[in-house]
Parts: sequence; C-alpha cells; structure tokens
Amino acid sequence: MDTFVNLFTNGVATGMAVFLLAVGLSIIFGLMGVLNFAHGAVFMWGAYVGATIFTHTQHFGLALLTAVIAGAVMGIVMERLTISRVYGNHILQMLLTMGLMIILGELIKVVWGPNVLTSPTPAYLDGSWDFGGIIVIKYRIFIIFVGAVVASSVYFLLKHTRLGMIVRAGVENPEMVQALGIDIKKVFTAVFALGSGLAALGGAMMGPLSVAISPMMGLDNQLLAFIVVVIGGLGSFIGSLVGAVLVGLMGALVSWYLPEASLAVNVLLMAIVLLLKPKGLFGGGSVK
Amino acid sequence: MKRKGSFVLLAALLATVMFLPLLTESRATLNLITHISIIAIFAMSYDILLGYTGIVSFGHALFFGSGAYIIGLSMKNAGPEMGIVFIGVVAALAFGFIISLLIGVLSLRVRDTYFAMITMAFGELFFLAAIKLRTFTGGEDGFSFRVPDVLRDRVGFYYLTIIILIIVGILLRIFISSPTGKVLQAIRENEHRAEAIGYNVFHYKLYSAAIAGITASLAGALYGLQEHFISASVLGIDKTTDALLMTIVGGSGTLYGAIVGSAVVSLSQEWFTRLASIYPIFERWQILFGIVYVLIVLFFPGGLVRAFNGVPWGKRVNERVEFVKRVVQKKL
Repeated sequence: MDTFVNLFTNGVATGMAVFLLAVGLSIIFGLMGVLNFAHGAVFMWGAYVGATIFTHTQHFGLALLTAVIAGAVMGIVMERLTISRVYGNHILQMLLTMGLMIILGELIKVVWGPNVLTSPTPAYLDGSWDFGGIIVIKYRIFIIFVGAVVASSVYFLLKHTRLGMIVRAGVENPEMVQALGIDIKKVFTAVFALGSGLAALGGAMMGPLSVAISPMMGLDNQLLAFIVVVIGGLGSFIGSLVGAVLVGLMGALVSWYLPEASLAVNVLLMAIVLLLKPKGLFGGGSVK
Repeated sequence: MKRKGSFVLLAALLATVMFLPLLTESRATLNLITHISIIAIFAMSYDILLGYTGIVSFGHALFFGSGAYIIGLSMKNAGPEMGIVFIGVVAALAFGFIISLLIGVLSLRVRDTYFAMITMAFGELFFLAAIKLRTFTGGEDGFSFRVPDVLRDRVGFYYLTIIILIIVGILLRIFISSPTGKVLQAIRENEHRAEAIGYNVFHYKLYSAAIAGITASLAGALYGLQEHFISASVLGIDKTTDALLMTIVGGSGTLYGAIVGSAVVSLSQEWFTRLASIYPIFERWQILFGIVYVLIVLFFPGGLVRAFNGVPWGKRVNERVEFVKRVVQKKL
C-alpha cells in the first residue's frame, strides 16, 4: 500500500508538471498550427530560473512567478520576432523552432554551465505527512494541487472568457475570426505567452520534484509532452490532461519495477494509441 | 550555359579529390574528407525526406547510429573479417529498412507534424537504450573494435568512401527522377492535389522514408568502419540536427547541396572545435549554429546554393507549378 501510494503520488505529480508543458504545446498547435520544438527549452529555462531565484531569495512563490514571467517573455519574443514570419509553412516552422531549441539550450549551458545542478525544495514543502502509516511526500501533493488549480483556471479561461471564446473560434477558423474584426495576431501572441508561461511554471515545479536539473531535461520532458499530446490528441485540452496523468503514472510504475524501460513503455503506449486511434484519444483538432 | 559551368566545376572537384592522396601525405586531411563524404551520404538521405518529400524527421540519427552500432558489434563479436563486414552492412541496411517502415506506418498516416514528433521519440528511445544497455553497447564510453586490414588502409578507405558517395548520389538521383520520385515531389508541392489525382500519398511517403532510412544506415556503417570506435553519441539528436543544418545550408531538394552543406558544416565544426580548445569563449560554438540555422530559415529558405546561384525564389516557384501541372496531366 505504501509503495502504491508513493508511486501514485509521484506519477500524478510528474504528470501535472508534464501537463503544464503539454497543454501549451497542444493549444499553440491547435490555434496556430505551429508545433513548437522550442517548448521544452522554455520548460528548462523555467526550471533554471526558478531554482536560481529560490536559492537567492528563499522565496518559492517569487521563484515560480519569475519563472512564469521569464517564460512568457521568451514566448512573446520568439513569436513576434521569428515564428510569426513563418505562419502557414509547417516545414519552416519546425526547422525554425528546432533552431530556437538549440539556441535556448546552449544559452542554458552558457549561463549555468553544462553540469547537473540541484534544485532545492522550500523548507515548508520538504518532508512528508504521515496518514496512519501511509507516508505522503508534501511537495508532490503541492504539485498536484497547483497543477489542478492551474488546469481548472486554463479550462475556465478557454471555456468561459472572451479570450477563450476567440481562441476556440480561432482554432476552428482563423480567417473568419479576423473577418469579424478581431486582431488574431494579438491573440496568437497572447496564446504563445500563455503557453510558454505555463511551460516555464511546469519546469520550475519539476525542478525540486526531480531534485536535479540539467541541460538534458528540456528534451527529455519535451518527448514526454509529445507522447502526451499524441496520446491525448493535438489541440485537445482534456486530451493533454488525461495523457499527461497516464504518461506520468505509467512512467512511475514502470520505473519502480524496471527503470530502464520507462520511456520505452511510454513510446509503446503511444504506438498502440496511434495504431488504434491515429488522431489520439480526444483528437479532432479543436480545443475541447 | 549554367549547366556546362557546373559540369566543369564538378569535374575539377572530382579530379582534385581523386588525386589528392598523391599530393598530400596528411592523414588528417584524408580523414577529414573521408568523414565529409560519409556525412554527405547521411545528409543526402535527409534531403530525400526534407527536400524531395517535404517531411521533417527529428530522429534520423537513429538510422545512422544503428548502422554504426551493427557494424561495431559484428566486428567486435564475430571478428574483423571481410565476410562479416559484408553481412554487417547488409544487416544494417535491412534494419534501416524495417525500422523506417515501422516508424512510417505509425506516424505518416496522420499529419506531417506527427512524423517529426514520433521520429524524435524513437530517436531518443534508441539513444537512451544505447546509454543504458551498458554491457551490450558500452554506454556513453562506447567501445573500440578492429576492422579488416584492407579497410585500415587510409588511402584505400578514402577512395572507397568517395566511390560509394558517387554511386549513392547517382542512385538517389535515379530514384528522384523515377516516376515514384516525381510523385514525391508532387506531394511536396501540394499534398492534397496529389491525393486528389489518385496517388496513395501514405504509400509514397513510406517509400521515401524507407529509402532515406536505408541510405542513412549505410552512412552509419561506413562511419563505424572509419572510426573503429562507437559510443552512444552517434545516436544523439545533434547528429540529426547536423544533417538538417547541412541540408538547409546547401539547399534542400538538390542532393548536391547536401554534399556542399556537409563540407561547410563539417569544416566549420572542425574549426570551432580547434578554436574552443584555444579560446574558452568559443566553447559554446553550437549556439552560432543555432543562430545560423534560424537566419537561414528566415531569410534563405532555399539554402545557400540557390542564394549564390542567383535563381530568384519566385522563378523557382513558377518552375514548380509547371512541374506539378505536368505530373497532373500525365496522370489524367
């Protein structure tokens, strides 16, 4: 039982961090048709910025906030300066964001060096609670809680606000939205900022969860996010959530029994979904 | 006129390359050109995907690396015999064929972006497997192995790779000029139209992925034979992005652009690595590659070869429209 609870909380916590990465990837694709290969690099920047701010100020909330702002700014700069020039051309978009991924990844090594760093957990989230013999690690519960709050807010934003309505309409038909007098370019930039900010938040929360942060973590987690969006369906909000929790749990369970095989099992899961439902479990192209 | 000019240039280049071993004793130069030729085969295989079919793979190192591993493991475990080399190369090609079909079947049915994501996932899967299956692959430290004495001769191996490069170049040129190759280019220009005329786009993309996979495995096998050493880094994603950079530097959809690109990129890598060993500020030179990459995509999407050829991009587009029209008419 103890082991199970442990694996379960770890899996869901990892899933939540990956969800924050995947949901931006998915919505950006759904709205703009851009598959952003630099998204994982923003996640990694979030982890490094969060860890640095926390080490210097000992204020975890401030660290998360700075990471989100840094991520959003990076998203805006990338979208305005480069990606907006290649809307409509999938190949150039993929090549371009791949280039951005290399630049952002190398910049991490310039600023923080190529080695593994530790990402400390704040004292009040360190340690664990004991529920009648079942040990639950505090930080994991914190991640699950924050993840759930953010997920519901994003869902509310998409479903019940004007911006969300425009975004959903834009996914269906961007030309029509523009014809109705809405500046879709501003919406694009806003969604890019939102997605990148969420990715950076995911990174900043993932850091203390996995204790170590390294220049490899961007690519590793981006792969998980890809698997998540393929399983859940690109462009689907619910798909990202279900896919992320599934991938997180799967990874946690498999790595308990056979650490080497965790990515392999997730890739296998993705392959099965692709064979049975090529567009993913919740796929269809719209933000549902 | 232009055609004649490039023919003379090609002949001069070929002559230089052929007589180079007579002119220089430098092993480093020969090794570098051998390396460039091998990487050029790899970059050409990438061009089949990117330049001729219009699909992006972010896991192409999988084929290169597994080709090298198959040769390395067979040399290490079965001994440095020519027969084993032959079997190893055939096994590498067969492996490239099977895996490319597998990945293609999984990912090419949905949309092109899926191919990019899924090739990346499989590429990293193989990379991590090579790191973690330490007893089998030697992990990040890798292992060295002996190759048959015939292949140890630097000059001989130099000629062998150049001949293979020329043969592969001709074969790929035949492939892209074949009816299948023409359909691939039609898919690149307008996938929906190609589908509407009645071509099974999925099947044609699979052919393209298979040819690219086989060619990349061959390049990997040659790489293993040249280096006598292999580690997990041959499967790393930077091998894929190198091939991508070479293809777009040279100009995608030209084949020979991939050769130019691999010379430019390999030489500058060599140069930067040397600079970095003297001036630590150049240690992160890869960032320049990333910047070059972004600039090319934004400002020279046709690649440097076309930029220097002076063919206006608009004219190129018109040619392509004409070309698609011809394909359509033939089918009707």
